[in-house]
Amino acid sequence: MPFTIITQGNFTSTGVGVKIPIPQSCDYFVATNVTQMGTTQATGRCVRGEWYRNGTNANDLSNLGLRWKKTDATSAINIDSFATSTASGGFVYVPTAPVTEAAVTGGTAITAASPAVVTITNTYSEGDRVRLYATTGMLQIAGMDFTISSVSGAGFTLLGLDASAFAAPATAVTARRISEFDAVEPRFLYITGISQASQAVVTVSTEHNYVVGELVTFNVPSSFGMSEITGLTGKIVAVTAYTMTVNIDSSNFTAFAFPASTGVPTVQLFATLGPAGQRTQYNPITGIQTGYDFNYPPFHTGEFTPYLFLNAGANSPAGSADDVIVWQAYKSETELINSGNP
Amino acid sequence: MSAPLGITNINNLAPEVPVQALEDFLSTPMFNLIHSFGVDLYHAEAYLGKTTRMSRFERLSTDGGQLDGSGIDPAPEVPVRSDIDARMEIYAKSITVNEQVILWENPKTYSKFVGLLGQWMREKEDLLMRDLFSSSVTYLNAVGGGNGDSPSNPSRGDFNNIETILLNNDARTMLESVEAMDKFSTSPTRDAFICLASSAMTNDLQNIQGVILKNAYPSQEGLRPEEYCSVSRFRVFISSKAAKKPGASMLGRTVYTMPMYGLEAAAKIEQNQYTSVIGSRPAWVVSSVGQNSGLYARFAIARAITNQNWISGLNATTTQPT
Repeated sequence: MPFTIITQGNFTSTGVGVKIPIPQSCDYFVATNVTQMGTTQATGRCVRGEWYRNGTNANDLSNLGLRWKKTDATSAINIDSFATSTASGGFVYVPTAPVTEAAVTGGTAITAASPAVVTITNTYSEGDRVRLYATTGMLQIAGMDFTISSVSGAGFTLLGLDASAFAAPATAVTARRISEFDAVEPRFLYITGISQASQAVVTVSTEHNYVVGELVTFNVPSSFGMSEITGLTGKIVAVTAYTMTVNIDSSNFTAFAFPASTGVPTVQLFATLGPAGQRTQYNPITGIQTGYDFNYPPFHTGEFTPYLFLNAGANSPAGSADDVIVWQAYKSETELINSGNP
Repeated sequence: MSAPLGITNINNLAPEVPVQALEDFLSTPMFNLIHSFGVDLYHAEAYLGKTTRMSRFERLSTDGGQLDGSGIDPAPEVPVRSDIDARMEIYAKSITVNEQVILWENPKTYSKFVGLLGQWMREKEDLLMRDLFSSSVTYLNAVGGGNGDSPSNPSRGDFNNIETILLNNDARTMLESVEAMDKFSTSPTRDAFICLASSAMTNDLQNIQGVILKNAYPSQEGLRPEEYCSVSRFRVFISSKAAKKPGASMLGRTVYTMPMYGLEAAAKIEQNQYTSVIGSRPAWVVSSVGQNSGLYARFAIARAITNQNWISGLNATTTQPT
């Protein structure tokens, strides 16, 4: 069979981008917005998106796909490319992780506040992971990854960064979205804060999946102050989305602080932590093991690739909140749909 | 030029077969495999689940311990054990071949396909280990190179900094053991850590103070072809597929990650009764009319950083961005 459907499914949009794993890869993908297909909006919307694997460059990230869009106040269909409008992303085929998309430039500010807020025109979604660089005036974070929240087309918030002690806000920034997970998990994390306490509370730049009972080893250069913690391995005793509490007494350590932007590029970056196994407890009376999540700590593939990322929004394939999306993935036996020998 | 009259030649009677194949194929490109040879290899038993646990007992405390003559015993110490788990994963690749390929192409084509699958397994394993290093290890930015970026191109001081980190953490060099000597010979330094780098960095590696290029090693015996140079106590191995992060530097350049490690820093685990399977599927199975046959390769692997303190590395950029 030269061209066959390999998998299909549906989801109800929550207004954020959706990642659909395609284990066998695919050559054609179609997503239909069933909700919008059955209604007419005063302002036309995307009702169907099609993605063709580009025959000459299968992994071309600019290959956003075709958009079927209803005309304003009617059901007449216009077809154009998602690439024609920067305000509505289409499909992104991701063959390896972590993917780095084409850069979004033109950001004008990162506030020196807690949390830091980035002003940049974008099509990102809540919870996306982005890599920031060219952060003029705030070069001590250039190259770091962040989870973004409170996302709008004009900017987003970095809940993992308290920049209130920074000397000045950034006056320019460039961002790239990268996949949610690294190729292997647990992954290393960027540290943005460590408290001085009998049990240190560590804040990281991205939401993390570390669990209670895991061990983490620290690598904090002296430019961040608390270099005493470098090489120490701590056991996680509590977690939140952006923090973990470890059984390391940092009360008498030097205070953690980002170096000044003016010190870059000669100042040592970054403060990081990495996975170092786990320690569990076992109660022989109850027969219960605690302090271990069997799903996350073992080293494993973090991001199943390839996958297709569907951007969200009224003019994007993943639709707006509560839209029902039906999708199918097809594969050609000859891999490329423009092959001369189907 | 027109053909001479009356002479039958290749201008007026072209050869029936315009091309002929050489007796053998040209080489299939293969990148340097640098990410596996320095790690420890273990094996997982079959039928016991897919998670392998590697355990390490930590040092006992050296605080106190002096008996004061009172007859009171010092409190016993409970040894502490750290567990590192790794999950077994299976990877596969197949080739479906039409009978006309076998019928009319070079007779070695089918056997070459088997070779391609074998090469795929080696390359895929290498990339999986590369991904482990790039995802789960903490790196420091190079700062001494002077190319104006953050991270900078690597310098001798950056190498020395990582060596200090490894030594402060009691990491052991590779060449303390005979096994390591078998891995990459002993020249030019016996007590060496491993450093893995991208082939895009060769220009910057050459310019590091005190670098010894491979051709200047006092002995060439047993050297791996992937080795490029040594800097301080690091032996540097390069690959075109080494890890990199596009657009991650301060100036938006590609950042190359350079893992640097010693003994027992990372491990790969093979699955007993499964690892490295190459097989074929006959045409009557693959195709309803018996025209296509299949070849496949599968392997299982688990991977882990077994001691985070014994591995570190550099983020670096190049002087001339690629």
